[in-house]
Amino acid sequence: MGFLDMFKKKPKADKSAKNTADKAAAKAAPVKSAAKPAGAACASKTAATVEASKLPFSDLVVPGPLVSYKQGFGTPPNGKIKLAIYWAAACGGCDVSILDSNDGVLTVGDMADIVMWPIAADGKEKDIAAMNDGEITVSIISGAVRNTENEHMVKLLRKKSAIVVCYGTCACFGGSPALANLVGGGKDEILDYVYRKTPSTANFQADYHSDSAVVPQNKVDVADGELTLPVLYDTVKTLDQVIDVDYFVPGCPPLQESISYLLKAVADFVYGGVALPPKGTTVGVVTRTLCDQCSRRKEFRRITKIVEPHEIDVDPDLCLMDQGILCLGPATVGGCNAKCTSVGQPCRGCYGPTTAVQEQGASALTAIASLFPVIDDDPTCGEDEIIDIMSTIKDPLGYFYAYTMGKSLIKRSVTEKGGK
Amino acid sequence: MSEEFEPIIVAFCCNWCSYAGADGAGVARLQMPTNFRIIRTMCSARVDPEFILRALSKGADGVIVLGCHPADCHYIGGNYRARRRIALLRLVLEQYGFDPKRLRLEWVSASEGEKFQTTLTTFVDTIKALGPTPLVKEGQ
Repeated sequence: MGFLDMFKKKPKADKSAKNTADKAAAKAAPVKSAAKPAGAACASKTAATVEASKLPFSDLVVPGPLVSYKQGFGTPPNGKIKLAIYWAAACGGCDVSILDSNDGVLTVGDMADIVMWPIAADGKEKDIAAMNDGEITVSIISGAVRNTENEHMVKLLRKKSAIVVCYGTCACFGGSPALANLVGGGKDEILDYVYRKTPSTANFQADYHSDSAVVPQNKVDVADGELTLPVLYDTVKTLDQVIDVDYFVPGCPPLQESISYLLKAVADFVYGGVALPPKGTTVGVVTRTLCDQCSRRKEFRRITKIVEPHEIDVDPDLCLMDQGILCLGPATVGGCNAKCTSVGQPCRGCYGPTTAVQEQGASALTAIASLFPVIDDDPTCGEDEIIDIMSTIKDPLGYFYAYTMGKSLIKRSVTEKGGK
Repeated sequence: MSEEFEPIIVAFCCNWCSYAGADGAGVARLQMPTNFRIIRTMCSARVDPEFILRALSKGADGVIVLGCHPADCHYIGGNYRARRRIALLRLVLEQYGFDPKRLRLEWVSASEGEKFQTTLTTFVDTIKALGPTPLVKEGQ
């Protein structure tokens, strides 16, 4: 058997074997059974994991009695619902994470017609525009709002949908796209850099279009009429700054449990008429910080030097902050089960701030500034020395606000105009 | 603009030293500009950077944090923490594009009414020289 054949056949065989095992196990064990064979855990993930994981202080309240998917799906009693999944300014990772719900995603095919999903289905803007208001039951939108097209599409989907889910960190907090807000010159500076100054563009090379750089225009007249491109905004917005949003699912990408929970809530509603969670629910977060879920030992050491994980031998059991690695765990809401810190990488804060504060960056700043020890000469040392200590943190703004610039208080870079 | 620019300044004063210092300045009838609004906190370390950012986001032209002198903190080390946070926050503000002089940390003890007066007067002058906050309100 060749290498490629192995690649092709193996997963298929595995999958069918697993499915059979799952079905057998699911028949044998009721959904709520505590002692479950390993195979069944996967099959019943949508229903059981949320309950079984028992996240402390969780907002993940399972709505009403569990509707078992083992009863078979089929068409819902009131016919299939319509589902739209859309990406605005996003990388597509959120769309892929929807598929992470394993066989839970199969529910979707039984339950819903996917009317739009740019990454996978063929629905077009005109199809959505032709629908009645509220005809789509659920729209799952990932990504920040960065240009006129994003804004038009999310407003259109809001109008046509009963429920809009703000899916992923970019939609909830701005995410990486919102770091563009820190470019002082706004969209002009960004376009100028991207199309004229990056060494990999043809415009940059002296012998090519040297006298007229090719930069995309928003409008161009051609023989058949006018062609347009979306207009970029200076300030990247979060989804809920543009439209009304019903549920938030943070994460970069959201945890598989979160999407499973979401699918289950919708499936329970569609099949069993179980009430949906209250509007504004943030799915998949706990009320405490990530540190509460992190299993590392905390010694509350003071640090004098900041290091990157690759520069030291990371102690697998000791808190990363104690080892001098900047971790945003103390400022980030828990819910991800500390996936990054458990493999020795610091938290970068993709789940956003806790519910008690608005500013994740300010919380991180507070926590990290306090890590530096009070030195013996602190009563006498000057302000310059303190600035020297703090300057060891490179790019504090980008680090503390890596995911939440869109929801920060200042939101974008400013330019001093000087006095009188 | 023909009228002189009158900045809006938020002053966070710690309960044990600076607020009493401000009180002392008032009792001694020291002349001061009226551009600042005092918010009393229990300690300068109680001033979360979020408070400062919120003040700036709501249109404050400058923020000053006043605490006990080093080694005098009522809570032993609160002012050292505040000093670190504010130093870091000034770096962050600089990255945003603010002039870091818009945020100042100063030590004023309970007996230093005069220092309170000079600190606030010079800070108001600094902000007047810097001009209005560069933050553009949404929709403007």
